[in-house]
Amino acid sequence: MTYEEKLASFTSRIDAGEKVEAEDWMPDDFRKGVLKFIEMHANSEIMGALPERECLPAAPSLKRKMSLCAKIQDEVGHSQLLYRVAEDLGKSRDAMYQDLITGKSKFHNVFHYPVHHWGDVAIIGWLIDGAALVTQAALLESSYAPYTRVLKRICSEEQLHLRHGEDITLEMSSGTEKQRAMFQEALDRWWLPIIHFFGPRTVVEKDLLLRWKVKTRTNEDLRQEFLDRYVPKITELGYSLPVPVPFRQDGHWLIRDEDIDWRPLDAIKRNDGPETARRLGARKEMYDTHRWVREALAEPSVRAA
Amino acid sequence: MEVYEVFRRGGHREPFEHCGNVIAPDADLALLLAKECFLRRQEGQHLWVVARSDIHFFSDESLLELAADKSYRFASAYRDVVGKRERAHERVRELQAS
Amino acid sequence: MSDSFDALVTALADDELIIGHRHSEWTGYAPHIEEDVAFASIAQDEIGHASSLYSLVGGGSGPQVDALALGRQPEAYRNAVLCERPNRDWAFTLARHWLYDHADDIRLEALEQTSDSKLQQLVTKIRREERYHLLHADYWMKRVAQGPVDARSKIIPAMSAAFAEAGGLFEPFEQEDQALDEGWLPLPSSVLLARFMNWATSALDELGLPGGSEAEAVIPAEFVASSSGDLIAGEDAPVEEPVLPAGVGGRRGRHTSDLAGMWAEMTTQYRENEGARW
Repeated sequence: MTYEEKLASFTSRIDAGEKVEAEDWMPDDFRKGVLKFIEMHANSEIMGALPERECLPAAPSLKRKMSLCAKIQDEVGHSQLLYRVAEDLGKSRDAMYQDLITGKSKFHNVFHYPVHHWGDVAIIGWLIDGAALVTQAALLESSYAPYTRVLKRICSEEQLHLRHGEDITLEMSSGTEKQRAMFQEALDRWWLPIIHFFGPRTVVEKDLLLRWKVKTRTNEDLRQEFLDRYVPKITELGYSLPVPVPFRQDGHWLIRDEDIDWRPLDAIKRNDGPETARRLGARKEMYDTHRWVREALAEPSVRAA
Repeated sequence: MEVYEVFRRGGHREPFEHCGNVIAPDADLALLLAKECFLRRQEGQHLWVVARSDIHFFSDESLLELAADKSYRFASAYRDVVGKRERAHERVRELQAS
Repeated sequence: MSDSFDALVTALADDELIIGHRHSEWTGYAPHIEEDVAFASIAQDEIGHASSLYSLVGGGSGPQVDALALGRQPEAYRNAVLCERPNRDWAFTLARHWLYDHADDIRLEALEQTSDSKLQQLVTKIRREERYHLLHADYWMKRVAQGPVDARSKIIPAMSAAFAEAGGLFEPFEQEDQALDEGWLPLPSSVLLARFMNWATSALDELGLPGGSEAEAVIPAEFVASSSGDLIAGEDAPVEEPVLPAGVGGRRGRHTSDLAGMWAEMTTQYRENEGARW
């Protein structure tokens, strides 16, 4: 078969709703696009471990200490699952790790921001994981089958994280004035980054991943689902939302595009977010100082003692 | 380092199911890591790891499709048993009558 | 229940909490992603053991776990100094994990004969979980100790540093004599220390790592806890502020500045919001 014939047959498989496996023939654009997408997802999971990790030592009870540690562990586990899927597309974990710490590859915007207190844990666990769950659930029907298989597990763990985050939110919301103020203060800082998380409007005709059905829904569609689901819950708890303030129209909670300041996101896309350098620097230091561990693991088997 | 495929089983009545894979230098560490990566919520009572290089599969999976009618291998091919039983009984009554 | 029982359980719980806290600092940063997941489980296990042990203090009445874990002043903690040391790197973390979990196994094995049935049951449960810790620690030590030159060059000094303070895990705790008399503690710390040293000497030798000669884990005889918990120094040592051997003092609340920093981070949120529910 010529390349064109293979491409035509691949395209018709995708159009018919068939799934692609790692060992199947796929066009280079598909392989590269899927790899980049999953690599970014994997990077985000491992980088997403860091903000919460910074809150872990100060957990206000042993129960929360264990559950937050377990939650971060899950995020690291998600990165493990995703890196494995990405590796099978032809890029080694080490290469992906190096691209991450040198800033060649990217991770989600929300993990470029600082954390200050336990209110951040509530926001990350409830709203950021809530936003992530909306986007990840939309990928369960992705055309790249190995991705959907790990997403099934990831989404079910994210459901748990959502409960965990909501539990913390509710506990703080029924707590002292100081606790409520902590939550509001964190919400004020995180709201814009959360809106950014969904990205700007999708340019459908330019979006190759949408064409290949790796992604199935547009950014604005996902953002809308998030707003409709979470804005009522936030306001019911008596918190106010900062700019971009959502407003109610035709049964939906809307945000005007022109109310969104995209400049912080643009900076993050250049890896110039508030915490980017520090968090990547810490990872890089760990990577550089622990080369010997990778070498020790690379030995085929331990000699008999 | 090698990729080890991980399989787990809920109990003796269940089949082993594939649940993911880990990177490890040997089977011992693969087991230790797989336990926490894939069974930390007690998703299974039995755990296997298999080096991916020891797993073999057809490169052409269309070999697995049935190329001709093999309906006789399926219970659905014998759906008419009720009617046939009825006819057999009819025949018996016929023979007894004669 | 008695004060000596509480002293015993608090020392055990503090060890578990403090080392669990240190282990949890690796979560998200471990040098291999699968290992990150595995080590986070070990951290959670230790913190969970601490929680269960705290709940036995004072006869187990009232909501005391967090008050004990996060509501005390640093000098009230009775963990061994080794547990509070920063992680430094994966080599020191491994060396400590290996020494600690084997030491823990030795004391828990003895505690399976404790006269308190609740503690006895808990210890049996903890030991079931610790089996994985031992397998994990043994595997890694073997791989690193017998691995490439770089790995050995990292683990040797790390092990020396950790082993030098490991004896502190068997420093007698306050009221140990009463705990022995009352049967909570079946064997004195000195006997457990001897068992530990026996094990460590041969295990280190088997791994080809320097043991007793280069890294000495000893509690000199002149430092013994009196029944009141005050430190009785030998005649030659100054009565005030005796200089303790490496790793010793934790069981009497004499900690290093490493605990102070960690304590501030660990407890501030709890202490600044007294009575708040989280």
